[in-house]
Amino acid sequence: MLKFLQLAFRNVFRNRRRTVMTLLMVGGGVAGLLLVGGFFAFMFRGLRESTIRNGLGHIQIFNAEHFRRDEVHVLDTGISDWQHVASNVRSADHVRGVAPRIEFYGMLSNGVKSSVFMGSAVDPDAERAMSFSPRLAAGRDLARASSGEVEALVGTGVARSMSVKVGDGLTILAVTADGALNGIDVQIVGIVNTGFKDLDDRYLRITLPSAQRLLQSDRVTNLVVGLDKTENTDAVAAAFTPRLSGLSQEMTMKKWIDLAAYYKQVRTLFSGIFLFLGIIVFFMVLMASVNTLLMAMMERTREIGTMLAMGTPRPWIVALFMLEATITGILGAAVGLIGGNLIGIALNASGLHLPPPPGLSTEMAFRVLHVPALMIGASTMVVISLALASILPAVRASRLQIAEALAHV
Amino acid sequence: MNTTDALVSVEQVTRLFPLDHNAVTALDGLSLTIAHAEFLAISGPSGSGKSTLLNLIGCIDKPTSGRIFIEGVDTSRLSPSETSVLRREKIGFVFQTFNLIPVFTAAENVEYPLLVQGISGSDRRRRVTQALDNVGLSARAHHRPDLLSGGERQRVAIARAIVHRPALVLADEPTANLDTRNATQLIELMRDLNHTLGLTFIFSTHDQRLLEHTPRIVHLTDGRIESDTISETSHAEVLAASVS
Repeated sequence: MLKFLQLAFRNVFRNRRRTVMTLLMVGGGVAGLLLVGGFFAFMFRGLRESTIRNGLGHIQIFNAEHFRRDEVHVLDTGISDWQHVASNVRSADHVRGVAPRIEFYGMLSNGVKSSVFMGSAVDPDAERAMSFSPRLAAGRDLARASSGEVEALVGTGVARSMSVKVGDGLTILAVTADGALNGIDVQIVGIVNTGFKDLDDRYLRITLPSAQRLLQSDRVTNLVVGLDKTENTDAVAAAFTPRLSGLSQEMTMKKWIDLAAYYKQVRTLFSGIFLFLGIIVFFMVLMASVNTLLMAMMERTREIGTMLAMGTPRPWIVALFMLEATITGILGAAVGLIGGNLIGIALNASGLHLPPPPGLSTEMAFRVLHVPALMIGASTMVVISLALASILPAVRASRLQIAEALAHV
Repeated sequence: MNTTDALVSVEQVTRLFPLDHNAVTALDGLSLTIAHAEFLAISGPSGSGKSTLLNLIGCIDKPTSGRIFIEGVDTSRLSPSETSVLRREKIGFVFQTFNLIPVFTAAENVEYPLLVQGISGSDRRRRVTQALDNVGLSARAHHRPDLLSGGERQRVAIARAIVHRPALVLADEPTANLDTRNATQLIELMRDLNHTLGLTFIFSTHDQRLLEHTPRIVHLTDGRIESDTISETSHAEVLAASVS
C-alpha cells in the first residue's frame, strides 16, 4: 500500500510544469472562495453587530400580547411593571445591561412644514452601558438629566427635510395612551446617521421620561437586553425562560435573529451568490482537471499497458488515478489555503474601503475573515472535484486493451 | 508431447485484425508446442505475426479462433480476472522499449510484480536483491531508469520478468534497441538464466546475433510456420543444467 502511495505521489510530480499549473488552478479556486467567503463573512458579522448595536440588542422582551393583537391605543400591549422584569433578567450571566424602550410614531413640525416620524424613546445611560450609541453625524447623544428642555436626536434625512440643525427646535405630536392628541417641544441636540437612508428620513429619538409624558403612560414597549458576546444569545435566552415566568403579565422574548429581517435577507442573498460562485469554481476545477488527467492518461498509455500485462488488477489502475487526483487536490487545497490566507492578510493590512452599498450611506471596509469552516469546506470541495474528475480517465485507463496500449506511440 | 505435458500448446490459432471492410490475417491456423525450459526464438520478417503470437501466448490478446494452453490450462476459457492472475503468476514480460516505470528505481521496478502478487515486504526485498544480482545490476538498484543505459534498462526489465519465478518469459524484440555489445551481453544473460534457473524463454527477433545462440527457431511467414528448427543437443544441455 505504501509503495502504491509512493507511485501515486511520484506520478503527481512526473510532469512538474503541468502539476504546478494544476496546483495553481486548484489553489486559485480555493483562494478565490476563501477571499470571497471571508469577505462575505466579514460583511455578515459587521451587519450583525451593527444591527445589534444600532439598537436591536441581543434579546428583546415583550408583553406576550404584543404579538397576539394590534394595539388599540399606544402602549396598551406594553410592559407595565418593567422595572421588576428588568431586575429579574439583569442578574443573569453574560448580560451587560437592560434598556427600556418605547416605540411610537407621530408628526413633527418646524412651524412651516410637518412630517411623519418613527420615534424611539430610550434611557440614554442604559443604552450607553451596552454600547448602543447612535451614530452621530453632528451634536451629541441624549443626556438623561437635561436642563428642562426635552432633548431629541433626529436622522440626517429629517434634519435635511425639516431644514434644522443642532440647537434648533421642533414640535412633536403623538396620540396618548388615552387616545388624545398631545404635543411637546424638543430641542435637537444631535443628528444621527443610522446607515439606512429610509430610516434616516423618519428617525427621532427622545428620552424615556419625555416619551412617557408625551404618551401619558408609564409603560414601555419592550426591554432590550445587551450581552457580552452575540454567541451567548442562545444560552442567555434559555436562562431567561424561568426568570420571565410567574410575572403579573405573560412575557415573551425574541432573539436578535428573529427580529433582524434585513440581516436575514442580506445573508440569504449573499449566501446564494456564494453558492453560485462555489458551483462555478467546482465545475471549472472539474473540467480543467478532467482535461489534465486525460492528457496524463494518454501519455502513460504504454506504461498502463505494461502494468496490466504484468497482471495488475484493473481496479488498481482506477485506484491509482483517483489517488493521484486526490493527492493533487490535497496539495492544491494546501496551496489555496496558504495563498488565500496570505492574500487575505495583505488585503486586511491595505485598509481598503468599498463605496456604500445600495440602501446604506456609509463606506464599507473591505476585510477578509479567516473562517475555519470555509477553509475546510473549500478544501473538501476541490479534493472531491479532483477525485470526481479522475473517474473518467481512470476508468478509461483501466479498460485499455493491453496489446493496443503496448503498441501505443 | 501432448497438451498437458507441454508448457505452451498453441492449437490451430488464427488471429484476424479488422481493417476497413476487410480483415488482415496476422496468424493463420498456427500450431506450436513449447516444452519447459526451452529457449525459443520466433523469427520472421516484419508483419509475419511474431508479436501477435507472443501477445496471444502472453494472454494479452485473444485469438479469433483456435486455443492456447499454458501448463494444460485452456486460456480461452479464463475470465479476464483469471487471465490477469495467470499473467501475474506464470508469465514474465520483456519489451523492446523496456517499459520500465520511470518514477520507480530499478529495485522498485523489479519489486512491482511481487507487489501485485501481494508478497510480504521482507520476502520482496530478498527476491529483488536476488533478481538484480542475477542480472548483475545490484550496484544500480537505486537508480531511476533515466539514469541507466539502454543495456542496463533491459537488464532491469529481465530482472522484473524473472523475479516472481514465472513458468515462462516472453520477450518481444529484446535486443532491437541495443547496440551490439549490449545485445550480446543480453543474449548471454538470457541464455545463462535459461541454463541456471531453467526458465523458459520465448522471444521474437530478427536479430541474427540472437538467433545464433538459440537452440530452437520457429520461423514465421505470413502468419504461418515456415520452419521449426530444433537443436536437440542444446535442449538436452539446458535440461541437464536445470536438473543439476
